[in-house]
Amino acid sequence: MSRAFTENINSFNVSNTIFLTPADDESKILAWLSPLEAHVRHQDICDQRVDGIGGWLLETKEFRGWYNFSKNGRSDHTALFCYGDPGVGKSYMWYERLSAGDKGYYC
Amino acid sequence: MVVDYLGDQAIAQDMAVACFYFDFASREAQTPTNMLGSLLKQLLSGLGVIPVEIVEKFRGQKRVIGGRRLKLSDIVKMCATVTSFRPTFICVDALDECVPRHRLEVLDAFGQILHKSPSTRMFMTGRSHIRGEVERGLGERAISISIVSRHDDIGTYLRARLRKDTTPDAMDGFLENDIMKNVLEKISETYVPVERPESPCELYTDT
Repeated sequence: MSRAFTENINSFNVSNTIFLTPADDESKILAWLSPLEAHVRHQDICDQRVDGIGGWLLETKEFRGWYNFSKNGRSDHTALFCYGDPGVGKSYMWYERLSAGDKGYYC
Repeated sequence: MVVDYLGDQAIAQDMAVACFYFDFASREAQTPTNMLGSLLKQLLSGLGVIPVEIVEKFRGQKRVIGGRRLKLSDIVKMCATVTSFRPTFICVDALDECVPRHRLEVLDAFGQILHKSPSTRMFMTGRSHIRGEVERGLGERAISISIVSRHDDIGTYLRARLRKDTTPDAMDGFLENDIMKNVLEKISETYVPVERPESPCELYTDT
């Protein structure tokens, strides 16, 4: 039996309604959606990363403006693009950002 | 770690996290359909339920010889719907390593998702030369920030590497300080930002 899932999120008017159902063949369906897996590269970066690098990003007004949506549901900028030259640590920076909960932010 | 940490937060705060890593070596396989499909797969994974529309299309396509994949437009629509129900972070690394013609489609898809799903936030990384493309593709929704190597970060990294030295008996405080001093000085003298556009068409002039 399927069920409807509809909800207003943080005062935004979300009119989407989606019908969800348990599926015995869930794993096959998910594999059909894409053959790609993200966890391999994720593990590589986890293994190589050094804690404590890039914390300055969290204090920038660009980051704060983007991140604060978590607290009030609104932000002018919903996409944050971190750009830089090869080797400056962009891929590792996002781990610093995403693990920011221990610095007063939350996701 | 990011996704590990956010996984815990997701359970506690009913939020979702999906990530994707572009890679030159896999660029032919990382089509917009596969990439967005991977994000959708992550967003649905663990819910224990699947949208009926997807289930019906999956079972229907099995009657087609050779099967049939979900269309990109369907995937984008479903991503926008699924992300509307709870705060969602979508993180995309090395966007510059996406094939340029695919990147336009991917950015368009991101724009549609952000437009239809106000509680979704995107975090992207990439080389400088695609900044203009990202900002044009996402319009006023996007804000950019420059990532540079900072001396204190490099110092932290060097110390961490030296702690993993496989010949620790050869190291002492004097040598470690000498290495730190010399490397940091060399970086100051030689570091010159390098732009590496993939093609002349991708050159971006910051006005």
